[in-house]
Amino acid sequence: MKLRRRPFLGLIAAASLSGCARIATSLTQNQHVRALLEAPERLNLAILGAGQPLAQEYAEGDISPTFRHNGFDPPSSEQYQRWVRDDWHGFALRIDGMVERPASFDLPTLRNKFVRRSQITRHDCVEGWSVIGKWSGVLLADLLAAAKVKPLAQYVVFHCMDDDGTGNLYYESLDMRQAAHPQTLMAYDLNDRPVPVQNGAPLRLKVPTQLGYKSAKHVQRIEVVASLGGPLGRGGYWEDQGYEWYAGI
Amino acid sequence: MRIHHMNANVKRVYRHPLAVRLTHWVAALALGVLAMSGMQIFNAHPALYASDASTFGHSVLSIGADETPDGQPVGYLKIGGLRVKTTGVLGYGPDGMGGFEARAFPSWATIPAYRSLADGRRWHIFFAWVLVICAVIYAAWAFALWPNRKDLRELPKAARTHLIPWRVPATAELNPLQKLTYFGIVFVVAPVVVLSGLALSPAIDAHAHWLPQLFGGRQFARIWHFAGMIALIAFFVVHLLMVTMTGLVNNLRSMITGWFRVKGAI
Repeated sequence: MKLRRRPFLGLIAAASLSGCARIATSLTQNQHVRALLEAPERLNLAILGAGQPLAQEYAEGDISPTFRHNGFDPPSSEQYQRWVRDDWHGFALRIDGMVERPASFDLPTLRNKFVRRSQITRHDCVEGWSVIGKWSGVLLADLLAAAKVKPLAQYVVFHCMDDDGTGNLYYESLDMRQAAHPQTLMAYDLNDRPVPVQNGAPLRLKVPTQLGYKSAKHVQRIEVVASLGGPLGRGGYWEDQGYEWYAGI
Repeated sequence: MRIHHMNANVKRVYRHPLAVRLTHWVAALALGVLAMSGMQIFNAHPALYASDASTFGHSVLSIGADETPDGQPVGYLKIGGLRVKTTGVLGYGPDGMGGFEARAFPSWATIPAYRSLADGRRWHIFFAWVLVICAVIYAAWAFALWPNRKDLRELPKAARTHLIPWRVPATAELNPLQKLTYFGIVFVVAPVVVLSGLALSPAIDAHAHWLPQLFGGRQFARIWHFAGMIALIAFFVVHLLMVTMTGLVNNLRSMITGWFRVKGAI
């Protein structure tokens, strides 16, 4: 009797769990429920967005043996392949939008004309894993200062060269406070070598206070805007797929 | 304590105040959703590492799928050096759409059933707030669970009574073993689960480096978070068994209306 009862109880447990999963699954498709589920994001930003606390920095010895990567394949365009072959000759990072002095900076300019900043920080992927790496580059705040942001600007948008395989280009955005954070970097080096293609060559945004998807790879253009929405969607490729714009949790 | 004498042998005792009843049911719902959406999140990278950063290939626990030499899919659970075949449930199981796929936890155990880290995170973070608000409301009553000398003195007797679980008598006050269990859940397991969850956030890490460090680093905090979930599920199973065996109707009624029936004189 007991032997038979046990699998039976297990079945009941699985069936009731399955029922809960099914109810929650259909609720997820309801737009009012979705709006409710997404509501805490603003609260999280309001609480955790206060101040400019620094992400933990590590020692050289803590650096992970390999900097794991995922996301899209590297950009497949002919132009990108040519740049890789020609050591980025002719590539320039464009800064435009709501700035007094729109500008383009090639890599030698970024390396030689701006202060080099380095940080050994932990990269936390939304999937759950973490790696530690040393990123070097230009403070985003320095770039924005060089282009002189106009007073009514609210967001900084990062346009990237990689796409999801169906032509949708990766993009990301930060608000002005996040953009001004003293660890928000436009990185050209990873572990003292030029950023490898799979990790975001030639320039990767690094935001160590948020999850990895904020740290957009292959950035080609920085656009300063007054608001998101319209062609800028919810402020990022993964945000458009339902992930939080505020990736601090 | 409010008592109604129903007849010479049975009286009703007002055992659970409204706030306790409400937070009990809301917390139960929240914990259920948190466990199931947590499994959805875990599915995105079903491996745990005993360190700050991930040590890929050297996990403490992982759930995965591979193939037999003749191409049959196999699901497995790996804990340290031990590997258990779990095809059909863990590693390789139902995808929620009538088929099977490589996924750590099966579709019937995750919220949502289909694979979506984004939606799982939305459910998880929403109900994390629900649980924390519940805990704040409940806090004023939680200290009733603090064990006193009498509880400790009567613990051996209570332990003996529980050797035959269906003979455990219905008493007006929590028996010492019950009280200690609830105490452990409310003051030990729940704080560990909540704090280790907070320790996973890079923004919270920036505000409080000590928090992930307290748990041995970010990836280690995932182990604590996972272990806490297992402890809560174990508690839930025993809780359901005890509620059923010691008078299902009386127990349920007391957690709905507050009134609990006790036989004999106090």
